[in-house]
Amino acid sequence: MFEELYDTPTESINIREGQLYVDASSWLHWYYLDFNTANRNFAEGGTSSAFVRYEIPTEALNHSANPTSTTSCAGIYTYWYDVFGTGLSNHEFRSFTPTTSQPEPASWHIAVHRNNVRTNGGAVHETSYTSMNDLPESSEAFAEATFTEDVWNELDVWTVQAQMLQGLIGNQGIKVNPILSSWLKVSIPPVPPTFTLNNHVFIIRMNDGTYAAVQLQNYQSPAGTKCCLTINYKYPY
Amino acid sequence: MTLGITISVSAQQQDSTYYLNDVVVTGTRTPKLLKDAPIQTRLITAADIEKVDATNVEDLLQQEMPGAEFSYAMNQKKHMNLCGFGGQGLLFLVDGERLAGETMDDVDFTRLNMANVERIEIVRGAASALYGSNAGGGVINIITKEQTTPWTLHLNGRLARHNERRYGGAYGVRGKWLQNTLNVNHTSTDNFNVHNAKNPSTQVVATVYGDRTWNIKDRLVFTPTEKLKLVGRAGFFYRELTRTADAPERYRDFNAGLRGFWDICKSDNLELSYSFDQYDKSDYYKIPHLDVRDYSNVQNTFRGVYNHHDWDTGNILTIGTDFMHDYLMNKNMGCLSESQNTFDAFIQYDWLINAQWELVSAVRYDYFSDHKGARFTPKVTARYQPIDNLNLRLGYGMGFRAPALKEKYYNFDMVGIWIIRGNPDLKSELSHNFNASADYTTGHYNLTIAAYYNDVRNKLATGVPHYQSNDNKQLYLDYTNLENYAIYGGDVTVQARWDNGLSTRLSYAYTNERLPKDKEGHTINNQYIPARRHSLTARVDWDKQFTRDYGLLLSLSGRFLSDVKNVEFIDYYDISQGTNTIHYPAYTLWKLSVTQRFGTACRLTCTADNLLNYKPKYYYFNSPMTDGINLMLGLSVDIDRLF
Repeated sequence: MFEELYDTPTESINIREGQLYVDASSWLHWYYLDFNTANRNFAEGGTSSAFVRYEIPTEALNHSANPTSTTSCAGIYTYWYDVFGTGLSNHEFRSFTPTTSQPEPASWHIAVHRNNVRTNGGAVHETSYTSMNDLPESSEAFAEATFTEDVWNELDVWTVQAQMLQGLIGNQGIKVNPILSSWLKVSIPPVPPTFTLNNHVFIIRMNDGTYAAVQLQNYQSPAGTKCCLTINYKYPY
Repeated sequence: MTLGITISVSAQQQDSTYYLNDVVVTGTRTPKLLKDAPIQTRLITAADIEKVDATNVEDLLQQEMPGAEFSYAMNQKKHMNLCGFGGQGLLFLVDGERLAGETMDDVDFTRLNMANVERIEIVRGAASALYGSNAGGGVINIITKEQTTPWTLHLNGRLARHNERRYGGAYGVRGKWLQNTLNVNHTSTDNFNVHNAKNPSTQVVATVYGDRTWNIKDRLVFTPTEKLKLVGRAGFFYRELTRTADAPERYRDFNAGLRGFWDICKSDNLELSYSFDQYDKSDYYKIPHLDVRDYSNVQNTFRGVYNHHDWDTGNILTIGTDFMHDYLMNKNMGCLSESQNTFDAFIQYDWLINAQWELVSAVRYDYFSDHKGARFTPKVTARYQPIDNLNLRLGYGMGFRAPALKEKYYNFDMVGIWIIRGNPDLKSELSHNFNASADYTTGHYNLTIAAYYNDVRNKLATGVPHYQSNDNKQLYLDYTNLENYAIYGGDVTVQARWDNGLSTRLSYAYTNERLPKDKEGHTINNQYIPARRHSLTARVDWDKQFTRDYGLLLSLSGRFLSDVKNVEFIDYYDISQGTNTIHYPAYTLWKLSVTQRFGTACRLTCTADNLLNYKPKYYYFNSPMTDGINLMLGLSVDIDRLF
């Protein structure tokens, strides 16, 4: 009874031109995007996703490695987080498992993993715009802006959740873009985490000199699954 | 309406200090004076509720009932343990009606606010076998107030830490044939973070979730003749809790009912009722504006109870029957929705053998359409009154609980740890409850002693986590019937009230909950932390009316709960590491309140809760969720008394 009070979620995703959707909720995958493929899909009226999925290597390599927490080696860095105390900011390195490097497609611009984003040798500037329509005509308006490149990270790309209840999480050590990743912030406390969407428009400078403008519009699927990203974009910009 | 109650002249003349002349109905389903109730009943009155300044049943019971503990289950769902029984083993009723819906096996306690409550009757153990399934551990019956004056308008509010607010209003009117009471209550509390020390022994809470609730109830009573009374009611409850900012959880309840009482003649009366209760859970996704329901439990219940009172002998014959259609929709069930019909019939004979002896015997039959389960359960209780104001009671009751639909059909992936699976082949849980009690009142003093022993067979619970035979990756936790086990304990309450306005009560409860294992003797994954062995509640009140327009009530109350141990897995993701014994520490909490009465209409209450500023080192699931002293300020006004 009282069905009229409630909504029935639809699993169909309605995206318009200039918009992308990806279910990036998996802990174990990166989703790679080439904006040219996205444009081509729309031009051809295609509905297939422009994102390509690549698994994060978690299998331990045979040869031993014993880095400290600051060594930039490919692998899984297990950290203890004070999840039930002061939060994520309080953490301790516990162990390292060397793996093969992250595989990736031949051509890509950005890759997403839950709330994390990488660029392919690019750099990112966060604007104060909250609507794609209000952006200046071209990226030239941001010629003097500060762009931030990807930086090494072994704390945020949560990959292995086998000991999560003990506060232990295995993270992939990899370069991510801290500015673009701020479009979706995950906070602990509280537990479970709070997701906060930053609706600012970000300008991405690619390694080939082209620019893209992107904005995260939603991070939930119609059924409520988090890290299902609806992204507004303009490329080339 | 007499409802067949026996009130002798001598009884009316007795000391009413301890509410011994108050009427209780829960134990036998017939009205009895508390002092004459053949089944021991703990009565909490409206005056007690006012002293505790309780918002909901949790506030009240943990202060008034030793052996009652509220703790967290997974996801901060509230779990109540009353002397070793909890969740599906305790039956909560409002005016005798069951409540739909559960969260981790317990009813939604925030639904049970204390506004407009006349009294609460608590019957422990399966002495309450008349209520059948789910009543093996006891019955807690919340009884709302009747409108007794032409009109009343009561408004109240309370402010406290963490932006806690409580506002309520009750408007009642009474005419020759009709009376109506409308209640509206609103509460809200913010989320707040608590800090745990390093290296907790087990899971702890980092954020305590507040919530917002609305509770609206209307009750209409129509008395066309002296012999006929019709009661209609309707209610709506709403609760919102924000665990994730963009997807708050919502809980709604819709209830309605119609009940008729007919005094057929001086010795016979009949009660017929219909009750509807629907409890829904949904998530509201703010960005796409979608309110998606993932749980709904709907119960439609019909009841008939007939009483024959032999006025010459004082004996009472009670015959009753219930029919309930139970519907459950849960997105965590493989089949999404299930339903079943339940039917019961019972007969009870209350035999007043002589002035000293009374014997109540009853038998009940239950039938469940799902898998066609059926069961007879008997009970017998004797009351002996050798001298005035001394009552001795001895009873046996068979408790019974049929598997819930959830326990049969659940299929839930618990954050990657394991999949909790229902089991359609579950047997019913059975318990043999033996209880004895004595209460004695003399002058200013009252003493109550009670003891009980429960032998529980085929307890329904989740068992030992295991892998499928052909798969060593996915763990399963199946509902099962556990090995037999026992719960035993007792309690002692001493009360005193003097003419100078001073009163005190001290209650101690001992509970020995020997935790069950599975049929093969393996340690199971206990869903809930077991009962604490020792608990104590204490209260001292001083009430003084200085002038006609000014009175003062000082209340100091506290509770102490001993430590408790529980066997838990060292690593829930790798159960091969075995188990650990986790120690949960003891604690004590105290509360001081000062209530000033201005005239007969206004009351101003200032309370210091957690007076000793206790802060747990670790906020385990059974720790008190307090981060220090909490100052509260409350005001209540009876508008009708201002004129």
